[in-house]
Amino acid sequence: MKAERSIVVIGGGIAGITSALELANSGFTVYLVEKEARIGGQAASFCCKATEVCTKCSACLLPQKLSEVASYPQISILTNSMVVGVKGELGNFQVEVCQKPQYISPQKCIACGMCTEVCPTMPKAIQSPPPEAVPYSYSINESQCLRLKGKKCNLCREICPTNAIVFGQKPERQELNNIGAIIVAIGFDVFNAREIGYLGYGRYPNVLTGFDLERIFRNQGSLKLSSNGKEPKKVAFIQCVGSRDENHGYCSQVCCKYAMRLARLIKHQKPDAEVTIFYIDLQTAGKGFAEFYKECQGNIRFIRGVPVEISEAPSDEVEVKFENITEGKVDRENFDFVTLSVGIAPRKDSWELAKVLGINLGDDGFFDIKEPFNSTETNVEGIFLAGACQSPKDIPDSIAHGISAAERAMEVLKRCQ
Amino acid sequence: MPVRMGIFLCDCGGSLKNIDFPKVRENLENLEDIAFVDITHNLCLEEGEKAITSRILTENINRVVIAACSPEFRERNFGELLEKLRLNPGLLSLANIREQCSWAHEGDVTRKALELIMMAVGKARLLQPVERKEVAVNNEVLVVGGGFCGMKSSLELSQLGIRTTLVEREPTLGGKLKKLEGFYSSQIEAMIKAIEKAENIEILTSAEVTGVEGKIGDFKVRIRRGTKEILRSFGAIVFATGYKTEVAAGDFPLKPGVNIISQERLVQLLQAPTLEARPETIGFIFDLSDENPRFPTLATLNNALAVKQRWGSEVYVFCKNVKVDSEGVEKLYREAREDGVMFLKFDKNPKISADDGRVKIDAEDTLLGEEIVLTCDLVVAEEKLLPAEGTEGLSSLLKIRTDSQGFYQEENVHLYPVSSERKGIFFVGNCRGDLDLGRVLADISSVVAKVYELLPPGKVIVEAERVKADPQKCVACLTCIRVCPHRAVQLVQVDSEKVVAEISQLACDKCGICAAICPAKAIKFEGYSDDQILAQIEAIGVS
Repeated sequence: MKAERSIVVIGGGIAGITSALELANSGFTVYLVEKEARIGGQAASFCCKATEVCTKCSACLLPQKLSEVASYPQISILTNSMVVGVKGELGNFQVEVCQKPQYISPQKCIACGMCTEVCPTMPKAIQSPPPEAVPYSYSINESQCLRLKGKKCNLCREICPTNAIVFGQKPERQELNNIGAIIVAIGFDVFNAREIGYLGYGRYPNVLTGFDLERIFRNQGSLKLSSNGKEPKKVAFIQCVGSRDENHGYCSQVCCKYAMRLARLIKHQKPDAEVTIFYIDLQTAGKGFAEFYKECQGNIRFIRGVPVEISEAPSDEVEVKFENITEGKVDRENFDFVTLSVGIAPRKDSWELAKVLGINLGDDGFFDIKEPFNSTETNVEGIFLAGACQSPKDIPDSIAHGISAAERAMEVLKRCQ
Repeated sequence: MPVRMGIFLCDCGGSLKNIDFPKVRENLENLEDIAFVDITHNLCLEEGEKAITSRILTENINRVVIAACSPEFRERNFGELLEKLRLNPGLLSLANIREQCSWAHEGDVTRKALELIMMAVGKARLLQPVERKEVAVNNEVLVVGGGFCGMKSSLELSQLGIRTTLVEREPTLGGKLKKLEGFYSSQIEAMIKAIEKAENIEILTSAEVTGVEGKIGDFKVRIRRGTKEILRSFGAIVFATGYKTEVAAGDFPLKPGVNIISQERLVQLLQAPTLEARPETIGFIFDLSDENPRFPTLATLNNALAVKQRWGSEVYVFCKNVKVDSEGVEKLYREAREDGVMFLKFDKNPKISADDGRVKIDAEDTLLGEEIVLTCDLVVAEEKLLPAEGTEGLSSLLKIRTDSQGFYQEENVHLYPVSSERKGIFFVGNCRGDLDLGRVLADISSVVAKVYELLPPGKVIVEAERVKADPQKCVACLTCIRVCPHRAVQLVQVDSEKVVAEISQLACDKCGICAAICPAKAIKFEGYSDDQILAQIEAIGVS
């Protein structure tokens, strides 16, 4: 049997991108299928957490890989696309992909920005891409656009110098033939902190999640609360939100690290801020992290045990009720804001893809592996897993797993040649 | 050949309204050596490609300046287009007049755009073609370490058709896992058999690496076997030298002996067919420091569970934090608790003292807020994960820095998972730190992929002489050799009297440190040479 040298990678996050690059470097043709309008995934919204030194959060590894993928001729990026059907077997799959209407063709858009200038809605229905976006093209917000709401506007189409804007598109289906193997890298969902009612997320404006904080630092560069514009002085982090509880029998592996790094970043920017971290067990494994934790102990307060209740206090503060172990009593303390260190959850839609591909889901809802000792192969020969869709992983681990999946795919294809 | 330059200006579909393109063209046309100045609209699209192609084919130019968006987006594609048109990509100079000019300012920016383009023109005049050539490389790989990691790496490399030599210090393959009973040792036995059968794996046991010279594609390695020393050549080297475990003496006031034992000794006791006296109470102590916690955590959880299930003893585990950040460990921790293993968490390290032939542990349980005094028949001490014997020697031999705990590989996220600052030298598994099995397996696959990528069958294409040392100017002061973080510079003999520095294009990472530091100005980084940078500055009348 002749095995084909084309591979479909489902998911354009850090793991999928790494797999795609690795395969392309070894001479394979890659179709990178991404559900959203842009590749990059969750890591694209993370901030650099460097203080006076690099704290090795690895957020900077993504942009580098993104630009590499974008200029690689052997990698075709299919955005707004989902895999809806798979036929065939290892060495020769047929993969059916459905592409949502894009309205603006990423192949034609030169990102000149003239469409946004003429767009009459407020806020603008056509938005500019974030600086590192790949593909670097504009996108239309369906709910804002007058034309898509049935009105007569045609301003953007008239001004677009490259005729990149097309209305009246329907979802398009295409079949990718002669696919040797499939790599699944659809990533994870951030745990929805609203599910734990007593923590008050979604009800109190000054209860944020770690992912909110990442975005605030990424977009603003420093910490200001959107609720009152104040620079917070007293900050708390609560660990294991959505990890290691009755519904989640695993450690998310990222939260202790990002919480400590964000805490250090807050202390670096505002040395007089008081930062407290409530925890169950601190996870300090990883290169150089034990030393980093020692440095953190110098100016960050660590309290064992996670709080039982969060409520609103006067003047926009948040009251945290927790067990003070050293004094053996329940304590209350007010903070300017509280960050819930939310964990990694399996994607809600993973069962749909599992059904399409015929692969199994494990107990925790992540994709299951064929055998222990092999974290990339699934029960279907020729379908591989990469990144956090297999189990929680941080950026370096996702990269390692992405390379690993690519290598397994290459080796399996080589064997059946 | 006289310089003949073509300039393409892109107005980005007419959107760069604050630049007066005709005026820019007028100014540029008056410069010397200019064949033409074109105003185009969308250089990044097919129409742009056509515009560039037709002009270059008819005008016979030998330098190209493109003023358009950030080089980040299209530099690579423009380079590839020039190559297709038989023009060397090294003769291309870009000016960013969109992100760094038009978008960055309010109001008319024609003057700034013109200056940016003039700088690119000034540089373009001095550009030299950077030829690419094929270099023959040795595809054989040396794997150092015959434990699980080294054996699995060799097997997987051999399955991709890569010849491998496996060097092991001990007389037999197998490493640490071979000593364990059951599942692991049966896996190891199967691997040893597969390796012995594989045609393209050579096994050298009782052998040690004593010297490494050369560079990726051509490492010269000295291997000592008994009294003999052999010299071999390899394309890449994979280190899988593992780790060692040790009961940290400083942490235990009582010396390990009958009542205080190591994890390794406990495994032996568990595997023994009969037991002299069943210990009623067993205490485990781990995570006294926060260093390298994954390994001790796994060993403790597995062994505590085994003790509970086989001996039915009372099992108490004293620790600071349970490190559950590896796949499946949280489940193992739950299982242990459900089976009756008690976990007590301390902040201050517990006191350990002798008590009438037994061992007394005096610890503060932070969760209960109480002092716990427990007298155990047996205490199992934490075994720390440390760099293997010889790690320091090898790293200084390789001139590769280790991390703050002495393991291989620096704490540089760009090197993860398995690379080092020297191309072609890799580290897999626990020789580069505290990894669990899942991460070790990912490491092994990664190293195979990286070797395959760097040393594909046949020849490798490199940019010849992007960075080069001029043998006429080089005085062999060794400064470049000292500063090069990638060990890409070597001394070569040119004649009986003279030695000069030579830069390996395969090993070079194009960081430019040598070019900046060379006191004799003998090293030139094409595209960023002193005269090219000065020409850019002079082009806008600053000097």
